[in-house]
Amino acid sequence: MRILAYTFRRLLAAIPVLLGVSVLAFLISHAIPGDPARLIVGPKASREAVEAIRKEHGLDRPLPVQYLHFLGGLVQGDLGQSIRNHRPVTEDLADYFPATLELTLASLMLCLTVGIPLGILAAVRRNRFADHAARVVSVIGVSTPVFWLGLMLLLLFYRHLSWLPGSGRLDVTSAPPAGMTGLYVVDALFAGDWALLREALSHLILPAFCLSYVYLAIITRIVRSSMIAVLGQDYITTARANGLSAARVVVKHAFKNSLIPTVTIVGLSLGELLGGAILTETIFAWPGMGKYVVDSVNSLDFPAIMGFTLVASTAYVAINLGVDVLYAFLNPRIRY
Amino acid sequence: MRIWSLLCCLVMILAVSVAHAADKDTLVVSVPSDIHTLDPGVSSDNYDWRQIYPCYDRLVKYKVENGKGSTEVEPMAAESWTVSPDGLVWTFKIKKGIAFDDGTPLDAEAVRYSLDRTLAIGKGPADNIGAIASMKVVDPQTLEVTLKNPYGPFLQTLATDGASIVNPKVAAKATGDDKAQAWLAEHVDGSGPFKVTEWTRGQSCVLEAKPNYWGGAPKIKKVIIRFMPESADRRMALEKGDVDIAENILIDQLPALEKNPDIVVNRFPAQMTEYVYVNCQNKKLADPRVRQALSYAVDYKGIIDQVLQGNGMQMRGPIPQGMWGHREDVFQYSQDAAKAKELLKAAGAENLELTLIYSERRATWEQIAQVMQANLADIGVKLKLELMSNPTLRDKIDKGDFELCLGAWSPDFADPYMFMNFWFDSKNAGLPGNRSFYKNDKVDELVRKAAGLSDVAERKKLYSEAQDIIMKDAPYIFLYQIQTIVPMRKDVKGYVFNPMLESMYNFEAISKN
Repeated sequence: MRILAYTFRRLLAAIPVLLGVSVLAFLISHAIPGDPARLIVGPKASREAVEAIRKEHGLDRPLPVQYLHFLGGLVQGDLGQSIRNHRPVTEDLADYFPATLELTLASLMLCLTVGIPLGILAAVRRNRFADHAARVVSVIGVSTPVFWLGLMLLLLFYRHLSWLPGSGRLDVTSAPPAGMTGLYVVDALFAGDWALLREALSHLILPAFCLSYVYLAIITRIVRSSMIAVLGQDYITTARANGLSAARVVVKHAFKNSLIPTVTIVGLSLGELLGGAILTETIFAWPGMGKYVVDSVNSLDFPAIMGFTLVASTAYVAINLGVDVLYAFLNPRIRY
Repeated sequence: MRIWSLLCCLVMILAVSVAHAADKDTLVVSVPSDIHTLDPGVSSDNYDWRQIYPCYDRLVKYKVENGKGSTEVEPMAAESWTVSPDGLVWTFKIKKGIAFDDGTPLDAEAVRYSLDRTLAIGKGPADNIGAIASMKVVDPQTLEVTLKNPYGPFLQTLATDGASIVNPKVAAKATGDDKAQAWLAEHVDGSGPFKVTEWTRGQSCVLEAKPNYWGGAPKIKKVIIRFMPESADRRMALEKGDVDIAENILIDQLPALEKNPDIVVNRFPAQMTEYVYVNCQNKKLADPRVRQALSYAVDYKGIIDQVLQGNGMQMRGPIPQGMWGHREDVFQYSQDAAKAKELLKAAGAENLELTLIYSERRATWEQIAQVMQANLADIGVKLKLELMSNPTLRDKIDKGDFELCLGAWSPDFADPYMFMNFWFDSKNAGLPGNRSFYKNDKVDELVRKAAGLSDVAERKKLYSEAQDIIMKDAPYIFLYQIQTIVPMRKDVKGYVFNPMLESMYNFEAISKN
């Protein structure tokens, strides 16, 4: 029950945080010199046309009024209308966010399923081949620019080997699966469309790998070092002395206790992955929020920028909350 | 290491021979960015027009002569037209037998509705056809258009995207008084050879051919536009045959593409120009001798040969080659540091320090800025470079808050008006066109007079006179006219480039064999 109460308190605390974020984002995006009205009508348009648009979009009103208007809409789940494509921002986000989420989740899965075992292996076989191999993987990971890695992956697997597709979420001629989530893999799975599932997965591999690689490297290193620290503790020696099998010691006793720093870094990575997908999305023509946001910023599409900022910060707050709750679960000694 | 072998297995299992999407009936074009709206009355973006243009008919269209696009117009939905002697009243006869998909005929009322709709929405496209004062449907096949003043380029403006003829039945799809903007943003309802059947945001847009198009069935059945932001990606997809045409390939990737025997790299002289706005209102630059000196300092040839790797040609006067009114014999600056220094000295402007602003809008600008920095250093002018975001840059241009600024311009319709009146008429100062805040009463008089006449010979004379004055006043550093580069697979046939339809394709005539 204490965890529930704690979770609730944290949820309440998130409200002022998000409000603060919205005010800051609003001020910053309006501080950029530039006239969105001009961008709507086109650079060659006459001044009268620009004035008319400014009125239509309420851009002529004072900032606090514009902000309150925005907040009023937000309460009703309305993020306003995109300046560039005249569409409700919520619809745009519903189109682009699932793609980014799918890519991020796939990357996270890769990080966890590869990074954690690799870290454990490196710790248990310290200074032996596996450890050295894991170190090489990590060093390459942290020092490889995402852009370069992406292009190399494309050159190898798409251009030369033709094993994997190079861009997009599906083949050009395929239509997206019908479904609620917008995550093609999930939707295809529920629809029982195996061909489409295979297609969606094959499109996901390269960008997910590219996006996850840096964090995979970091997670491997963190798991390794915290495992080593835990393995040196007295209770491990005791467990060993009591004749428990090596595997049991590692998995049951050491691993759980080494998870706390890992959870932190995974939580942080997830937030970073969400925001950091821009480059990966560009290279692999992944139709996610990355390109959408960059275009929004370039054309001063305030409602779109605000919508993205709010969604991203909400996700970040949620992830942090999840991490804290997980802490409490993993180590009851942690006070809250 | 088991994990790695598992992963490799997974890759193998999923390894599909990547489907070569492009069969003979489907044309795939890869382009850098998504589209925003399909509404011809709203968009002033060439990338949107790429999809919109083939879905609608217009009164007139650009002529194709011997497989080459021209800037002259010929009848499309209009059969013929007459103009009153004072140039104010245009009477169009509309072809019989053209209909929208639902059977509604394309008649005078449909044309009136469409032009009226664009004007009422009042965004970019409305400015292009803004000469219209009123319209009258005389009978189903006759439309009378009255202009505010005699306007030379009027016929040309009817070939622009904003003059697309929309099915008047869309009025029923309006929500509130939006004139069906919400609906037309995502759908098309025209009588053109294609229709948009699918648009997956960020991914692709699909156009399907109409076999019963009145102008004859298109040769290709389907066109897929794929949005791929990265140039290297587009290039790879083109080389693999996953796409047939790739737009906006970076210049340094072209030589490799040209070596590929399956690919043709086409180059066409475009109407797009790049130039430097020299702020005439700025104290340091108010003396024409200073501006002349700057024009003499620049190494035009070096920029074209080195930075553009030959993909451009030096401008000669403000009107580009290929547009009537262009003059091969107009005075043009070329690099002459000694002369430039002399001019600066005469103007008492030695030890000049200037700032050049530019954005990342074009990949070549960074290098051009650096070349100019070196060129100006040669004549003793210290040039500071300032890179900024495009919206900020535009804001500064509009307010005249700059000294020198790199810019690009392409005309919306084929008339020297798009250059002479936009660039030099002092009432267009700022972003609308006169970006150097140039003011010369004689030039104002000449270009305004030329705009009001429909006699081409007379207009040519006026524009010609204005050009001589302008080149002397040097309000811009006229750099070059760029080339449009369209790499495509060898089996793509029938593509015609029209300098007025940058990014728009004649899909109806393209085929693959």
